[in-house]
Amino acid sequence: MKLLVIILLMIVSLEAAAIKDVKMTSMTFVIPTEKDTIVIQRNCQWCHSYGYILNQGKQSKEFWHKVVLKMRNTYKAPISARDEVLATEYLYRHFGN
Amino acid sequence: MQRREFFRVSLIASTALVSNSATASSVIKPRDNQQVSDISFIEKRPLITHSDRPPLLETPRDAFVNAITPNNELFVRWHMPRIKTHIDLNSYHIYVHGEVKERLYLSVDSLKNDFEAVSVTVAMQCGGNSRSAFVPTTSGIQWGSGAMGCSVYKGVRLKDVLARAGLTENSHYITFNGSDEAVMKKIESFKRELKIDELSDETIIAYEQNGEDLPFLNGYPIRLIIPGFYADSWVKALVNINVTKEYIPYYYMDTAYRVPDNERESETPLKHAKNTKPLELMNIKSFIGYPTSKSKIYAKSNLRVKGIAFDAGSGIKEVLISLDGGKRWESATLGKELSKYAFREFSYGVKMMQKGRVSIMAKAINNRGESQPFAEEIAWNHGGYKYNGIDSVTIDIV
Repeated sequence: MKLLVIILLMIVSLEAAAIKDVKMTSMTFVIPTEKDTIVIQRNCQWCHSYGYILNQGKQSKEFWHKVVLKMRNTYKAPISARDEVLATEYLYRHFGN
Repeated sequence: MQRREFFRVSLIASTALVSNSATASSVIKPRDNQQVSDISFIEKRPLITHSDRPPLLETPRDAFVNAITPNNELFVRWHMPRIKTHIDLNSYHIYVHGEVKERLYLSVDSLKNDFEAVSVTVAMQCGGNSRSAFVPTTSGIQWGSGAMGCSVYKGVRLKDVLARAGLTENSHYITFNGSDEAVMKKIESFKRELKIDELSDETIIAYEQNGEDLPFLNGYPIRLIIPGFYADSWVKALVNINVTKEYIPYYYMDTAYRVPDNERESETPLKHAKNTKPLELMNIKSFIGYPTSKSKIYAKSNLRVKGIAFDAGSGIKEVLISLDGGKRWESATLGKELSKYAFREFSYGVKMMQKGRVSIMAKAINNRGESQPFAEEIAWNHGGYKYNGIDSVTIDIV
């Protein structure tokens, strides 16, 4: 009986060693709060943190517009025509060159 | 802040001046001294954190004094936000299929037990490492220079795995992808493609990094290692190897991760190159790990400059140090060559007699006679790839 328990425990621990459960760290990346912050909240966070926005440096309005279009066309983010304009303006307002 | 504004203004002014000549681009020094974050990610010490989802972690400068980057300091770059956080090795396998005689489902145990184990010590670098040097700012993560590292990888030769599956006369290309996924269903995952005849014996499927299981964020449980190549093809959490007859176009092969296909691999912001090619072999590069601009160096004390140098596999022949802006160069002492693909340590002893500000520059030369250009000689490309300008660290001698 003792032996059986030991063997069972060994099997359980071997199985456990083969499983890795990971908790991903989350961090807060702060973007400026204003009337259109909600546009960024509802469109960008599906796929990535605000770190991606903050990391791009100061950019032209054309650059940000292209980014918004890329997120819609390439990455299939459901960005409406209205939010396309508002998001571009928000991004340029705070991260424009 | 005011100083920063001044730099920004003068930068705009200078690019405006050049723009008349239709080459409104330049290169500055990559970002340096970025703060490491207060919190750490699994199996990592606190690193420079550009994003948590997907995780983008950069190694700070002071790590680059050793040829081997500790597992908890190695940079992290994922493309897809949905990374599998529950990994069960009892069910995890790589599926090898397509133009092969026999499809394989290989578990990690099978890789460890049924194939010859090989080890390679190899430098890994993101194609966009040092991207923040490019002006105007290119799209993509604005890395400083810490999206690189060097590790000892243990695993099995990709060639051995392919031989087990059996190649046919139609086996020409291989698509690799990992288990990470996009959020939106219609997006293809991060797929990379290699020509079969490009594969070296040293291309391996690795299950160990520096004698331990791969860290989760570096691709646990297995990742593709392609010595000499930029790391964009080093697929993490590898689950799929599809051998094909024809080349298959993918977003991450045919749109992203490409450089101009011309002699200088360059283009202008207004006129991007028509012909482009994928990123493959790494440029020669060196980097100073000590001192950093935060180091306090006393006049008349002995200073030992330390750093690392690497290239795509011809091996480092020499590292030169300049203390006068690149006019005179002196040889640094090289450490042991761990492999022709590895970081090679260098060190250089000097006693600064005068107080004041000094810039230390490092330049590597490889066995093919290639060396690094000055930062300002680097040509711009719109992806901000392959930067390898001469590194410099400015210190105050007090």
